[in-house]
Amino acid sequence: MSYFNVEQEVKKVKTTLNECVDFSYRYYKKDKQKLAFIFLKSIIDSQLFSSALYFPLQTYEGEFSFDILKNDLIKCVDIKEVKKEEIVDEVLDGRVILLTNFSDRILSIDLLKFPTRIPSEPPTSPVIQGPREGFVEDLQTNVTLIRRRIKSQDLVMDVVRVGTKTQTKVCITYLKGIANKKIVKEIRQKLSKIEIDGVLDSYNILYCLEKRPGSLFKQIGNTEKPDIVVSKLLEGKVAIIVDNSPIVLTIPFIFIEDLQNSNDYYTNHHYSSFVRIIRLLGLLIALIAPGFYLALQLFHYNILPLNFLITIADTTQGLPFTPFLEILFIFLLFQVLYEVSLRLPSYLGLATSVVGALILGDTGVKAGLISPPGVIIVALSKIALYTIPEQAPQITVLQLVFIVLGGSLGLIGIVSGMVYIVNYLNDFDSFSTPYLAPYSPRINQDLKDAILMNPSFSMKHRPQSFSPEKKERT
Amino acid sequence: MKKISINQCGILMVLCIFANKILLMPSLMYHQTSADSIFVLLVLFLLDFIMLPIFIKLKKVYKDDKFYDVLKAKIGVFFTKLIYIALLIFFMFKCLLVFSITYVYFKQQIYQEEFIFLALIAFLPVINHAIFVGVRSFSRTIELFFWIVIAGFIFCLVISLFTPISMPLFFTSNSSEFFSSMYNHVFAFGDFIFFFLIMDRIDFNKGKTKNLYFYSLFAMFLVLILFFLFYAKYQSTAFMHNNALADLLVFSVQFNAIGRLDIIAMLTIMFITLFQIEIFSYAFCDCFMSIFPLNKTFSVVIFDILFLLLYYVFIGKYETMVASSLFWLPYLAVFVNYLIPIIVIFLLLRLKNNINDS
Repeated sequence: MSYFNVEQEVKKVKTTLNECVDFSYRYYKKDKQKLAFIFLKSIIDSQLFSSALYFPLQTYEGEFSFDILKNDLIKCVDIKEVKKEEIVDEVLDGRVILLTNFSDRILSIDLLKFPTRIPSEPPTSPVIQGPREGFVEDLQTNVTLIRRRIKSQDLVMDVVRVGTKTQTKVCITYLKGIANKKIVKEIRQKLSKIEIDGVLDSYNILYCLEKRPGSLFKQIGNTEKPDIVVSKLLEGKVAIIVDNSPIVLTIPFIFIEDLQNSNDYYTNHHYSSFVRIIRLLGLLIALIAPGFYLALQLFHYNILPLNFLITIADTTQGLPFTPFLEILFIFLLFQVLYEVSLRLPSYLGLATSVVGALILGDTGVKAGLISPPGVIIVALSKIALYTIPEQAPQITVLQLVFIVLGGSLGLIGIVSGMVYIVNYLNDFDSFSTPYLAPYSPRINQDLKDAILMNPSFSMKHRPQSFSPEKKERT
Repeated sequence: MKKISINQCGILMVLCIFANKILLMPSLMYHQTSADSIFVLLVLFLLDFIMLPIFIKLKKVYKDDKFYDVLKAKIGVFFTKLIYIALLIFFMFKCLLVFSITYVYFKQQIYQEEFIFLALIAFLPVINHAIFVGVRSFSRTIELFFWIVIAGFIFCLVISLFTPISMPLFFTSNSSEFFSSMYNHVFAFGDFIFFFLIMDRIDFNKGKTKNLYFYSLFAMFLVLILFFLFYAKYQSTAFMHNNALADLLVFSVQFNAIGRLDIIAMLTIMFITLFQIEIFSYAFCDCFMSIFPLNKTFSVVIFDILFLLLYYVFIGKYETMVASSLFWLPYLAVFVNYLIPIIVIFLLLRLKNNINDS
């Protein structure tokens, strides 16, 4: 039997890890018996190391054997035997490796500990009523948050590693017997094909999972709230939790999901329906208001009611810009102010508002550079944009497209643009799910939780759009 | 293969039935048969409607077979290609007619000046894209906008009731005028032939076939109501109003005090036109690809070139287009609308005999 030369093994691991500053080891000698612990001190619980590993050895009076160490002396929950070639990976995973000179077996003990955030309400999805917990950057905590809500043997959580350098854990989560097997298989295949050196956030794998990676439109859902993930799992979707990211991806994704909000499920369904209609209106206003205004002003002024036309004519008289350039200028001004306000420290935010709203806006109007209706229309569209904040990046780009279409082609341009976009969206299915379901194609059963919402108790079937294995919610 | 449901097929049917009938046709027909045009319309609709059970029967017999393959197997490649060439021309002129009639409406009512380049820049990319994405995607798009379009259409009809209307004077035309009118306007009908072309892309398992009857009757009913209200409103001056659906709204004085409500008609017509051209251009490309073994891109390029050439060289003048539709296109329409269904009936009967023999 070949036993380990522990010093030599420690040296090998140290060299493999490039003598890293946080690399650490401890020997324990008793008579001729020699033990070595190898670990990275930056990611293990040092207190637990002392109390659960080192202290029991010191107090033990008999002769060590591997089985005694494994079964009696080491007081940790997660202990496993590993092979020699797995030592480095285990150490990098925050585990402590125990080598002895009296056995060729190796123990790996989980003592992983690093600074983590406490689950708190995510800033991107605050709720008035309902759970406030949000995901954090630690995979284990995120798994716990889901497991706490689903006490079922059907909950599957498969971990795969992605990233040749980062070896990030990616957890595919779904409910067996509910989620569509084909979708799970497709996700697995796509994840296995990812060739990337590092995964720092779920967004890094997002593009590898999308059907059209270059597309402007969002094709995969994301959320920071465990209650939302659980409700999506129950609908038959698959969640992808990435270590080091508080954003959990959900697949498949349909457009209507962004019109829904977790608040909707914790308030009266009549009110929720009303709010969803407002969001849809907000989306339409955000999308086409500036372009529509331009089309009316440039091509179809005869359609405008007379009083409105007189007001516009009065305020736009003598402007140095053409209507198209004016709207474009205001649009870009708003966008610049938005970008600045995002990046400036909060104590400078007030100053930005003053400069943006009062100096640039008010003075611009008074100086006769821009017109009040132009400012109102663009401001309205920018505010309406945030009725669906998840779609804001896409809609911002499309606003610009519709400004160009409305300004150059008039109403026909806007209608053509809309039809083109809807045709485009109807052409790509996210994991065999129609993107604009349940309206296009119409899936009557799924309309219960679309724009007009039915009470939760009447939703006895899972959405058919996602082709779940089990259709009834029982 | 990406297939459409029966519901989507019915929606496409509605759009096809509206094609070329809701703007200019009521006033053109009034020239010949005055208010009796409603009966002309009714008879032509009935002839169209007969094609629906034929189509359903054919689809049930041949299930997922392509119409081209069915014809080829029964009447040979030469005659099949001949029929498809006729269909190719039929759908190209349908596209041109829809486009040119709507273009004139937009020019008069909205843009008030020549804007052909803008119209082409706005329409052609959308149409080309629709051909590329295929019938499933654009029928889903039409499905999304369908009830909005129908609401706009019905809104126009309802608003016209708020102005004085009176029963139009019927039975003023003789039989010669009646049949002449039928013949002259036959090109605006026969759109059901489109569904023969795409029969392999319709999934009859999704939905009930009786819905197809509902959709077609619903569309025919709406067009008949439009004709009736238009004649009831304008009476003997009906021939002067070339944009029936929009003109129902324009002179509703009480409502126009609120604002220009005809924007609803404009938007409705824009959507309907765009969808109809999508359908007909897709049909053109489908025929083209069946006749010539070329890819989609090539067929789209050919469509664009032919569309532009024919528009500029041949039909640039609106009057020429309308005259063509009245005088020489009916020859083509009679062949496509009635001869092809007769061939289909013959095929079905032959198949039945074969089954009986065996």
